[in-house]
Amino acid sequence: MEPLRFESYPSNHLYLPLRRDILHRAVVYEGDATRQGTASTKTRWEIHGSHRKIRPQKGTGRARLGTRQSPMLKGGAKSFGPRPRDFATGLPKKMYDLAWRTALSYRYRKGELIICEDGMDIEHPKTRYVQDIFEHNHWGSEDGRTLLITGDYRHNLFNALRPAGQHGRVQTTEEVDVKDLLELGRIVIEKSALDEILHGHQSDLTSKVRAMV
Amino acid sequence: MPPRIPALASYCRPVPIASSPLAAFLLPLFQARNASILATLSENPGHYNKRIRRGRGPSSGKGKTSGRGHKGQKQHGKVPARFQGGQTPQEIVHGTRGFENLFSDDMSPVNLDRIQSWIDQGRLDPSKPITLKELCKSRCLHGIKDGVKLLARGKEELKTPINILVSRASTAAIEAIESVGGKVTTRYYTKASIKRLLKGESESSFEPLALTPPTGKESPILAATSPSASPFSYRLPDPTSRKDMEYYRDPAHRGYLSHLVPEGHGPSLFFKTPGASNVRRKAKKVGAGGIARGENKIW
Repeated sequence: MEPLRFESYPSNHLYLPLRRDILHRAVVYEGDATRQGTASTKTRWEIHGSHRKIRPQKGTGRARLGTRQSPMLKGGAKSFGPRPRDFATGLPKKMYDLAWRTALSYRYRKGELIICEDGMDIEHPKTRYVQDIFEHNHWGSEDGRTLLITGDYRHNLFNALRPAGQHGRVQTTEEVDVKDLLELGRIVIEKSALDEILHGHQSDLTSKVRAMV
Repeated sequence: MPPRIPALASYCRPVPIASSPLAAFLLPLFQARNASILATLSENPGHYNKRIRRGRGPSSGKGKTSGRGHKGQKQHGKVPARFQGGQTPQEIVHGTRGFENLFSDDMSPVNLDRIQSWIDQGRLDPSKPITLKELCKSRCLHGIKDGVKLLARGKEELKTPINILVSRASTAAIEAIESVGGKVTTRYYTKASIKRLLKGESESSFEPLALTPPTGKESPILAATSPSASPFSYRLPDPTSRKDMEYYRDPAHRGYLSHLVPEGHGPSLFFKTPGASNVRRKAKKVGAGGIARGENKIW
């Protein structure tokens, strides 16, 4: 690959120092927000059946038992079981935005950020074709896989790369997050997609007062 | 798992045959793994606290009583926060007074001095209409509950003529704005419509819904067949309850429905305007009176 032209970016966009703590906070924040939180068990009041006393209190020579739904019995409830809940945690927006730019800066400094022209797509939706492209550029599974980021959905590229997950994946700017940026061997991103990401994640750089709405 | 002995393991591993010293030097570079940074991320050491191990001997500082003091229920288990040692709790002795009206509208207040200050700072543009969206986006309001009421605190400070659209406005505020040449309009909003407005799904409009032409986005089928020019998927609602309709029909409140009230009529939907109703009844009597009565006579 040959460079087509030179572009300059502000140092607080693509040349930030590596902050492992900030990246950690962002990745944990995203992971918490992604959790489904739908695990659910029934309490003793939700299990179907009568709450009749199973056997007399005294005289049977066996243990005292009340209801059939008791957590102690087979077919009974789960005590302190999981209930559906939201696992999402909070992170200050400025910190999260800093994490985005730190992740891109880390990639840039390691030479793993490849910026390409807009309209990244291929001619045919063929997985073998994409595999050849990846092999030729040393982007595939041998070289640590590659994340392609496009501005919007590209039918051919997305369909071709979907079965070739061992070589990498393609995501739109909407779908991508900080963990995705750090996960694979390198990032290949469209210029407009990079600009969109940087523009959307600079709340710590801009003034808090929004003038003239 | 058996103990790992790195030195022994490296001794047992077959030694790569280094043909030249240069190759031996370059070998680690060729074998660079593509390891992700994710595994090495962690917070700074100061972020984590060491776990307090209770009841682990006197030198731990939390040894003998494990920080729970001596004797009693507090040592052995939990005591409810409101528990007063068996004495009748305060909330039972005194009970609760009053009630919360779930149906009342919780208006977010915005005052004239604050609006003027925002205009002076350049955060609000007085040349354009100021609506809920502008107020919220410039952080003049920190979120809106059920609507916005314009109040007249610091009305002497208001110098700029503004065109403002809110849910309600106080009489003094209307007077103050109109005395400097501005314009006030009040419009009906619901909580859901405010949410959509702030999300940009509907447009701030002075027009009642009844007078707005349909956008074509009413049904998903129509929207799919003809992409309409309007980027908004919702329109603002009109009031349906009598109390709200009467408020916005009232010219004294500068309601957005007040121009629909005929000349000389009051805003009320219940009390008829004296004079207007009498004329209508008389006309009805004259129109279809004796003829119909005569023809339908059975007896």
